[in-house]
Amino acid sequence: MNAHWNSYLNRALSRRELLRASSTGFGALALAAMLGEQAHAATAGAQSPLSVKPPQFPARAKRVIFLFMHGGPSQVDTFDYKPLLIRDHGKPLPFKRPKVVSSETFNLLKSPWEFKQYGQSGMWVSDLFPQLAQRVDDICFIKSMWGSNSRHGGALLELHTGSDTFVRPSMGSWITYGLGTENQSMPGFITICPTQSHGGANNYSSGFLPAPYAGTPIGSVGIAARDAKIPFIANAETPRDVQRMELDYLQTMNREQLATTGPDQALEGRIESFELAFRMQSEAPGLQDISGESAATLKLYGIDNRVSEDFGRQCLMARRLSEAGVRFVQVSHTYKWDQHSDLLRDHAQNAREVDQPIAGLLQDLKSRGLLKDTLVLWGGEFGRTPTAQGSDGRDHNPEAFTMWMAGGGVKPGIQYGSTDDYGYYSVENKVHFHDLHATILYLLGMDHTKLTYRYAGRDFRLTDVHGNVVKDIVA
Amino acid sequence: MGGLRLDNRESILHGGGRGPAVVAGKPNESLLIRALRQTDDGLKMPPGKKLSDAEIATLAQWIAMGAPWAAAQTAAADAPAQRYWAFVPPKDPAPPKVKNSDWVKSPIDAFVLAGLEAKNLKPAPPASKRELIRRATFDLTGLPPTPEEVQAFLSDQKPDAFARLVDRLLASPRYGERWGRHWLDVARYADSNGLDENLVYRNAFRYRDYVIQAFNKDKPYDQFVREQLAGDLLPDAQDLATTYERWTATGFLSLGAKMLAEDDPAKMEMDIVDEQMDTASRAFMGLTVGCARCHDHKFDPIPQADYYALGGIFKSSKTMENFKVVATWHEYVLAPPEDRERLQALLDKIKAKNKDAAVIMQAENRKLSAEAREKLGAYLLAASDVLRYEQITLAPVLSAGKSAPAGAIVREASSFERGNAPRKLEKGKANVVEGQKGPWFAEYDVTVPTAGEYELDMLEEESGAGTADVLVNGVLLKEGAAPVQNRAASPDAGGWSVTGLFPFAAGRNTLRLEHKSRFPYFEKLLLTANPLPKGTATPLSNIQISRQYGINPGYLDHWVEELRRSKGAPHSALFAWYAFQGQHSLDERSLTGWTSPAAKLFEGYHPKSAEELAARYQELSSEASRQFLAIQASRPSAEQNKLDDDMEDLTPKSAPQQVLPDAGLDALRELLYEKAGPFRAPDDSRKFFPPGAQEQLAVIEKARKELEDSKPDYPRAMGVMEGPKPADLAINLRGSHWTLGPVVQRGFLHAITVANPPAIPEGQSGRLQFAEWLTQPDHPLTSRVMANRIWRWHFGRGIVPSTDNFGRLGERPTNQPLLDWLAVKFVEQRWSVKEMHRLMMLSNTYQMSTKYDAQAAEVDPENTLLWRANRQRLEAEPIRDAVMAVSGDLDLSMGGSLLTYKDRQYASDTEKRGSVDYDRNRRAVYIPVVRSSMYEVFQAFDMPDPATSSGDRAATVVAPQALFMMNGTVVLKHTRTMAEQLLKRTDLDDAGRIRDAYERALARPPSAKEIDGALSFIAQVERALESRKTDPVERHTFAWQSFCKALLSSNEFIYLN
Repeated sequence: MNAHWNSYLNRALSRRELLRASSTGFGALALAAMLGEQAHAATAGAQSPLSVKPPQFPARAKRVIFLFMHGGPSQVDTFDYKPLLIRDHGKPLPFKRPKVVSSETFNLLKSPWEFKQYGQSGMWVSDLFPQLAQRVDDICFIKSMWGSNSRHGGALLELHTGSDTFVRPSMGSWITYGLGTENQSMPGFITICPTQSHGGANNYSSGFLPAPYAGTPIGSVGIAARDAKIPFIANAETPRDVQRMELDYLQTMNREQLATTGPDQALEGRIESFELAFRMQSEAPGLQDISGESAATLKLYGIDNRVSEDFGRQCLMARRLSEAGVRFVQVSHTYKWDQHSDLLRDHAQNAREVDQPIAGLLQDLKSRGLLKDTLVLWGGEFGRTPTAQGSDGRDHNPEAFTMWMAGGGVKPGIQYGSTDDYGYYSVENKVHFHDLHATILYLLGMDHTKLTYRYAGRDFRLTDVHGNVVKDIVA
Repeated sequence: MGGLRLDNRESILHGGGRGPAVVAGKPNESLLIRALRQTDDGLKMPPGKKLSDAEIATLAQWIAMGAPWAAAQTAAADAPAQRYWAFVPPKDPAPPKVKNSDWVKSPIDAFVLAGLEAKNLKPAPPASKRELIRRATFDLTGLPPTPEEVQAFLSDQKPDAFARLVDRLLASPRYGERWGRHWLDVARYADSNGLDENLVYRNAFRYRDYVIQAFNKDKPYDQFVREQLAGDLLPDAQDLATTYERWTATGFLSLGAKMLAEDDPAKMEMDIVDEQMDTASRAFMGLTVGCARCHDHKFDPIPQADYYALGGIFKSSKTMENFKVVATWHEYVLAPPEDRERLQALLDKIKAKNKDAAVIMQAENRKLSAEAREKLGAYLLAASDVLRYEQITLAPVLSAGKSAPAGAIVREASSFERGNAPRKLEKGKANVVEGQKGPWFAEYDVTVPTAGEYELDMLEEESGAGTADVLVNGVLLKEGAAPVQNRAASPDAGGWSVTGLFPFAAGRNTLRLEHKSRFPYFEKLLLTANPLPKGTATPLSNIQISRQYGINPGYLDHWVEELRRSKGAPHSALFAWYAFQGQHSLDERSLTGWTSPAAKLFEGYHPKSAEELAARYQELSSEASRQFLAIQASRPSAEQNKLDDDMEDLTPKSAPQQVLPDAGLDALRELLYEKAGPFRAPDDSRKFFPPGAQEQLAVIEKARKELEDSKPDYPRAMGVMEGPKPADLAINLRGSHWTLGPVVQRGFLHAITVANPPAIPEGQSGRLQFAEWLTQPDHPLTSRVMANRIWRWHFGRGIVPSTDNFGRLGERPTNQPLLDWLAVKFVEQRWSVKEMHRLMMLSNTYQMSTKYDAQAAEVDPENTLLWRANRQRLEAEPIRDAVMAVSGDLDLSMGGSLLTYKDRQYASDTEKRGSVDYDRNRRAVYIPVVRSSMYEVFQAFDMPDPATSSGDRAATVVAPQALFMMNGTVVLKHTRTMAEQLLKRTDLDDAGRIRDAYERALARPPSAKEIDGALSFIAQVERALESRKTDPVERHTFAWQSFCKALLSSNEFIYLN
């Protein structure tokens, strides 16, 4: 289990210990940093590592929902409209391919879907997303994303953690480390039905950050959203009142022992951890239970339709968890977007599964007044080549792809950056994963160069030594 | 600017890869200023926003002044590396004089007491014998002492009782399981790769078993180090068993987490080398060398050159068989040389068979494609028919609420007359009969009044999983759809769907559904007369159309794709075809905008029908083919015979060039021969091969399978060997292998000097010499780092608390004389780890109690000076093992693998998380460690991420641990047995049972009050369950289980006093 929420780190309780654990003898310099502006994530006196911490500067977004499209959706078939790709279909690519590619691709392949302009903003969207197209005026499209790794594993890790070489804390962990969480009975970072491939849990692990910042998985790929549960949350054998009795008896034993040991924060913390666990048992399943939602809401999220039901449930669960104060919620449409072949059939099916749920989520967040301070992020680990793999497929392409954001302080109804004539390379206002991470932290009120953690003798950041905030998309 | 440092004057003046950054007094000649002014391409700093002119002017002025630098800072930055404590070999320090010399039983006590006395602190009183045996037993074996063992120790009044207890524990095989696990943390041991592709390391367990045995045998640590780094190179392996053991030891280098899917093989290789260096340096020297991959280490004296000197050693060794996606690691075959040779011969034969099959496939595919090219016109017409038929929408005649039309035939799936498919079909299942072979089929006899087309509908057809072929009266009419890839959790559309319109004869017909490997799920089928209006064309399936035109359905599918994709594309050679389809004629206007060179072949051409145009295309393409084949035939036969691909040598993908003299014909040639074009061989081309070829392939495959089956399954071990060409490495500037700096000679770290360092002989990697260098007695780090690890695992904190970092960024030793004394002793006692246990555990320092002292806590709240024993939380494995041990369920058999996976199989993948069975009663050390899909109980209790070497576990206290104790199956299952076992003890009364449980779990008897408390709690639970659990035995057992759960959840159980 990755969940370590609301913990009582026995070491974190001692400020001196905390300094030791996270500064490993760097002496006065580290101390100064910890006491100064970088210390906000480890505020003195905070009992729990997940207590709410103030942002470094006024935040535009308070929470994040990340809709992860695993596999790599094709930009030129979704949001990046390329008239020249249609014109030059079948021609060779008129410029060089990247030095490193995943597979051989051939001539240019036009999109089988038509693009139209939508909304006041006139954003281009292909026929794949008829429902989402109705919400473009809330969306900020980043057309010029790029990454450094052309394989799923490397690219997933880069998207989630900033590193395609080492196991590092994921962005949800960094954010929870930086801001804590608002519901002390729930984990601060939850990932619903996460992938187990391409890095698996490394994509939501806390790496070297303390365990309470790790993502807690609810379910896993291959488990239907309706059956997804937090590990060990329920016990079918023991009635609740009997469990309370067991707990009371246990706590009596523990308190009697504590009376003989002298003060011991770990022992005290453990007594409290059982009380928390007991409270959580009632809170968490309630948040996951959508049986009380109206028929209109279920329809809004596409839960009334077999094709979109599963992803719809994930999106609705994400909204409920966000609303209850969970800082970072990830929803995964797991490994479906990798169309090396059968692009026509499978991209269409994928879009049918997510279109209504995502459009519904945006609308629901907006009508509840949550969209303004909830950052919704959509995208995959890379895009796809405008050139054909086989005759109905596209290869991985980390050189250019589209991600979009909505709410949480980004400008609505705009697009940022662009790709070349065919959508192979990002060319104007390029946004690397590091820049994306820097921008997300910025929207949450944190300077990515100052959100640091000392590990193995070095101050680590989500953005390593890179990253620029894309200020042009900030409202 | 590789290697440039800007934090001291000398470095600035010396500069980096591009030369001096600053020429004192000459700002305009200084690279620094040029970079800041951003006047040169490729030399622009900083990367983001340019500095302001004023800022640049200030720096220029500073350089003009001669770049002055405060003297103190220069001195600090340039302090000689040699003086850093950890790089100076430990001297044997004399134990200090102390006041309370009575307390000193071992020199360790003198070192500790000196520290305490300096602060006016006193050591805590000794632990009780019960506390001591529980502490020592968990410490050395990871298990609780049994009540009998406690009793024996209590009644042993001899002064050396504890020493003999320690000896007994060290001699137990459980010792190696406990201390081997400590080392496995350092070795970042795991049974799967888990960085990107989570492939199973099926043979990693042999390394784990090797480690356990090494501790049990008390293998000298220096030898342990040498075996892990260079076991394959050690001289004097007397027998095969020793050879295998040493090969297995090198698994240490191989079992790290790797990027196995990386498109850049050079990067993959360097990443693996980096991981090995980082792990070896951390594990044996407590140094982090990783920083130096990109630049000189800022704080430790490890220049980039040292990194690549060491890197050359690992790069010259062979860890991997290849660096393909997904890459294969090397494994030793643990068999005698003659057996290994036989195995290799067999593998060569299998390879030859594969090649034979490929040659036939290639030749037959060429024939098929050549035939198909001669029918291009027919493919155009047929594919256009398919697209036209797609426009005719057929709706299922039955949908929600409608009833079947008159005359419709409805059949339940299970009602077939003949067939081998299971009668009961299940959704999402393969629906086959175990032990039997496909194809699977079901035949339905249907009688229709008149001959003609009938619509076939199916209810709840499982489309995503693939559908069946449809045959009527023995004629294949529609091929089933292939299963959809990557659609694990996709719901299929439900309800009725149309399969097609098929011809039936008047009277009885046989409708057959067939699938070669599984039988797809459906509920019902329905047959009804063609509902389309009279005179409407009847849509045909691709198979029917192919039959009509006499073409191959495999190629037809490609042609349908091609027409759908390239429709309207001006560059397509088929532009004229689309234009004609639109208006049934061709003229100048309709061909406007056609940019393909093929356009000129159609100038002034006015076909009257699609057939005529198709014939024209056929004629032109035949000519293109003829010319192209003539050119190909004139090329040397070696090239012609290239196995991989017809066209590769003639149309390289990067620079397409004209092959035929006529550009128009060449455009057609491209369409005909393009590798991914419509005349590529279908994936299932084999079924179209002539019987002779099919037979030949079958024979080859049978032979190949026999060879495979006869392959002996020798044990294998992951491990490293010497590479084919040992060579030095060039520095990768900024860590990138695209920009290389000077080559550095293989060697070790310059900051560390040992007497007579070994030289690396020509033709060797240097691994053996690296291992020898590390284990020289005067190496300043190896003995200290391990002595400190052993201390950490006994006392809960290292003397250097950052056990894996002895560098400047690590922590200082809290008691360096003690550490040095231990390190010297370690080497003196021939690197015996067991002797180190005795040394530490027989001290009074180890045997102190955890008694709290308010005054001491004020002075030394973290107990850095050790005024008492640390109260330690049990780690993940002892908690789990203790729960099982106390309940009597623990299986103590040793070694082997519990994995049910094959080598290299995915442990967790796109469809599921690892389905490793963690619910086993074996000791925790044998439970598989699946990276990125770890056993959640272990993770909850701080088992470190096995991606990185780690010798210092955290001991958090968090709610999920409590949830596990309350609801986890391990706890529920084993407390149940514990309760049942207690109740079976007819020799005891209830108070006696409580006493027994306490003694097993806590190594102490309960007080009278505790017995009363337990019994009244049990009674309370029983009362509460009175109405809910009516079976009194079950109720009673449940209540006792509640007591056991509470006992094993208690702080006293989880913490060692």
